[in-house]
Amino acid sequence: MSQSGIDGERRRFIAFALAPSLIVLFAVAVLPAIYLVVTSLTPFQLTTPGSATDFSAPLRNYALLPGDPRFVNSLAVQAKLSFWGVLFQVLFGMLLALLLNVPSRFVEFARTFFLIPMVLPPIVVAVIWKLIYTPDISPLYYAAQALHFTMPALTSSVDFALTAIIIADTWEWLPFTFLMVLAALQTIPNEYSEAALVDGASTLQIFWYVTLPFITPILVVSGMFRLIDSVKAFPLIFLLTSGGPGTVTEVTNYYAYLLAFDTNEIGYSSAVTVVMLLLVAGISLGLVWMGRRREALA
Amino acid sequence: MKTVSRMSSITRRKLLEASAATAALAAFPAPLIAQTKPFAGVTLHGASFQHRFFTLLQKYIPEFEEQTGMKVDLQLSAFPVYNQQANLELSSGGSAYDFVNVTFILAARWVAAGLLADLNEFTNDPNLTPAEWNPKDFVEGAQVPYRDAKGGTYGYSWEGGAMLMGLSRMDLMEKKGLKIPKTFAELQQVCAEINGTDGVAGITSFQLHHWNLPPYIQGFGGNIFKKPPGDIMPALNTPETIQGIEFYANLLRSAPKGVLTYTEDQARQSLLTGRANIFIHSSAWVTPILLSEESKVKETSRVVRSPAGPVHDHPASNSQGLGIPKNAKNKKAAWEFIKWALSPEISMRLVKEHGHSSVCRRSIITSDDYRKLNTVNGQDLGALYLEVLELPAKGDNYMAYRTVKEFPIVGDVLNKTFEQVATGQLPAKDAMNAAQDQAIAALRRAGTQL
Repeated sequence: MSQSGIDGERRRFIAFALAPSLIVLFAVAVLPAIYLVVTSLTPFQLTTPGSATDFSAPLRNYALLPGDPRFVNSLAVQAKLSFWGVLFQVLFGMLLALLLNVPSRFVEFARTFFLIPMVLPPIVVAVIWKLIYTPDISPLYYAAQALHFTMPALTSSVDFALTAIIIADTWEWLPFTFLMVLAALQTIPNEYSEAALVDGASTLQIFWYVTLPFITPILVVSGMFRLIDSVKAFPLIFLLTSGGPGTVTEVTNYYAYLLAFDTNEIGYSSAVTVVMLLLVAGISLGLVWMGRRREALA
Repeated sequence: MKTVSRMSSITRRKLLEASAATAALAAFPAPLIAQTKPFAGVTLHGASFQHRFFTLLQKYIPEFEEQTGMKVDLQLSAFPVYNQQANLELSSGGSAYDFVNVTFILAARWVAAGLLADLNEFTNDPNLTPAEWNPKDFVEGAQVPYRDAKGGTYGYSWEGGAMLMGLSRMDLMEKKGLKIPKTFAELQQVCAEINGTDGVAGITSFQLHHWNLPPYIQGFGGNIFKKPPGDIMPALNTPETIQGIEFYANLLRSAPKGVLTYTEDQARQSLLTGRANIFIHSSAWVTPILLSEESKVKETSRVVRSPAGPVHDHPASNSQGLGIPKNAKNKKAAWEFIKWALSPEISMRLVKEHGHSSVCRRSIITSDDYRKLNTVNGQDLGALYLEVLELPAKGDNYMAYRTVKEFPIVGDVLNKTFEQVATGQLPAKDAMNAAQDQAIAALRRAGTQL
């Protein structure tokens, strides 16, 4: 058999072997996405018969989006939540990893302990923070009262509601970045920092010139994962603030949820979701492109 | 071969005899079985949200199954989950359910979209509904949401909610020389004066503002829509509506911290423990201060009519009904179930055996047994409940705003806007002007002709 014949055979075999996975992937991921896009082109309202197949003005929903103040606001809220949430998670996760990157039995136990929030179901995390933020029953408020300090109701305060969500989200996901950075730190050969020490470098200089360059790719990857995931902060918002007070914590996916399940505007909600999907995909591709460019420059 | 042939012939004969006997058995006793167990073999599928009524009813369902021969598969989910499931199921023309709960806030939508069967077809047929079942026995105010303009009936109410005012700390009020508030102005004064005394908040509430707020808006002469159900142009920025919003926002200054995110349970708990003096909500949430074992304030509590506004006295009320989806497979069996579940006998048993008082049959609510059980410290709770439940059916159906299919859209805008006013993000007038624009835009987007 000729070389091209063998190659063709190999390609056919690979395609044959991959086919079942691709079919499953198509059924569970691509089909719903196609349905979402198709629905976003209709004025589908659950109680309006025929609206699911009305394609007379396919771009109507998308044209309405820029003029919808709640949608625009929800994007801004999402941006704030994602920016501060990811920043704190990466920063504190890194600091915690640096702190606990020492060989000790106690530290090993502490590491395991720090992972608990990440493995809890999101709704449990939301319930924990609901208890912490509820003034009547929260130990936080009892402590403040004992110290004669008046605390506002965090989840219904305009100034603190979003911060309250960011704190809870950071608590939940900080262990992820901690774990990633810790794994990266443990791959750095000790010789580098020892050599720097011999050359008279301070601890801060060792961190800046030796450790940080090593862990930067991991920080970028963790940040990217968290950025994409931050769009899914639904249970915290659902249980803690319901998007309020007003629309202070109403992120885009919560707004899409209200549209679909409270007011039954399935078509418009799908359009909101498609835009959200495109934004997340755009950010992800941008970050991947930046990573590749950085590698190419290096 | 002979032997084989004989055996074969005997077997065939026996088979024929057995078949004939089976056919005869099937032919003759069948009518007898049908008379006693007319729905033998039927499995009835129903769905609702979780509620004490159904938990109690489930105890009686085996009796119904024994009487009729059918099996009842009742699926109970959390309130929002049920509403989403049922909405999708009915809207897509599904036939998975034989009977459903017709949720108050979805009733108008389902009725207008023709998703439910007209139950008059069953009540008008004496073979299907005996005279003593009496559909007119249901409190008229509770039945309003389940009717259409042509007089069709798409549900019968199993639960009524009548807005009452619970006061948990009459002792504090007496100490301060305060009387039970009967007007909005008195309510404001009592809440402000009690707030902070002995760590007690003046009033408590919860986050469903579009339920708590409209009685104040209507009390000042405003409404959510111009003239529902006919004219559904939002009326969110009228001076009366703005007045109602400002009043309720001021009232909540006497509420516990974080009240804007309170759930109903949190509000109820703050009343039952005496941490808040006043709670204005459906009777089922308020009367536990007198009736529940959990209540720590039974001796110092009163349950009364909620205060009247300067223009109207419109305490909110609602009801939940049982209905049959238009495409249900077992409509007659479903009607049999509804008839049984809402019969005077079962209603009375729920009242007597479980103290479940929020039934909607007038004959039960006005009975001596009911009155005896629901009169606490000289307070006839049944009379209060009936009085409020009947109000929307007397003259102006002021609860119509809540039963139009566009309400959830406007209600959502109202919820958000009220929080903006209550937290000082925007002055009431500006917030309500913006809310009016948003509500109109959202309704138009949803295809509503205004």
